[in-house]
Amino acid sequence: MCPWPRPFCTRTVHSEAALKIETTRFGDMEIDEGKIISMPYGMLGFPQSRRFVLFPHKEDSPFYWFQSLDDPALAFVLTNPFLFLSGYSVDLHETIRRMSWEETEHGLSLEIYVVVTIPSGAPEKMTANLLGPVVINNNTCQAVQVVLSDSPLSHRFPLFGNP
Amino acid sequence: MMLILTRKLGEQIAIGDDIRITLLEIKGSQAKLGIEAPQSVGIYRSEIYEKIAAENLVSSQVDSPDVSLAEALLYKNRSQ
Repeated sequence: MCPWPRPFCTRTVHSEAALKIETTRFGDMEIDEGKIISMPYGMLGFPQSRRFVLFPHKEDSPFYWFQSLDDPALAFVLTNPFLFLSGYSVDLHETIRRMSWEETEHGLSLEIYVVVTIPSGAPEKMTANLLGPVVINNNTCQAVQVVLSDSPLSHRFPLFGNP
Repeated sequence: MMLILTRKLGEQIAIGDDIRITLLEIKGSQAKLGIEAPQSVGIYRSEIYEKIAAENLVSSQVDSPDVSLAEALLYKNRSQ
């Protein structure tokens, strides 16, 4: 299982300063200030956390941590939905408009992730929320959780055994 | 507390300066509403919003050892 290469955030920033952040799960971490992803509207139900960083669980892992910088205890596990459901598709027109995202000379570099739930001690019951994907714009380093209305997809799609 | 207003077809409700809700159609027990709001305001059917917010809350409880377990399970499955 090899996820596609991820540039994560490619925004050029003048300061490449390392920033120390506090996390409950991983202790103190040093992150690159340019890699901070801003979520103007937060994750649904967590509007107060607006800044996150994304990093792989381990090298080449299909799972990533989306760690809040505003709440050390808040982190989500994300994965690439296309690893599990090649036909997954999300209409992003409304999202692009709402976020006022514009194409750069390199086009629009968007990545789609889904939020994963893994019950404690029961990894075979892991699911992904296909109704609330997280879309990251690599050019602006902004992210938004999209709400798919009128979708037959599940918010608890089983990841084990698919495909 | 809930503010209750009665509206006729075509009438509106204003919320603050920039949100307008218009009653467009009534059919039996269904009402069709038109909503005008700034782009920054998220508008969702409540049941979908709550479903995702509730699932986010569950997802936010996942701890690192369980991610390692899940990863190992996927690798094992893949290599068989």
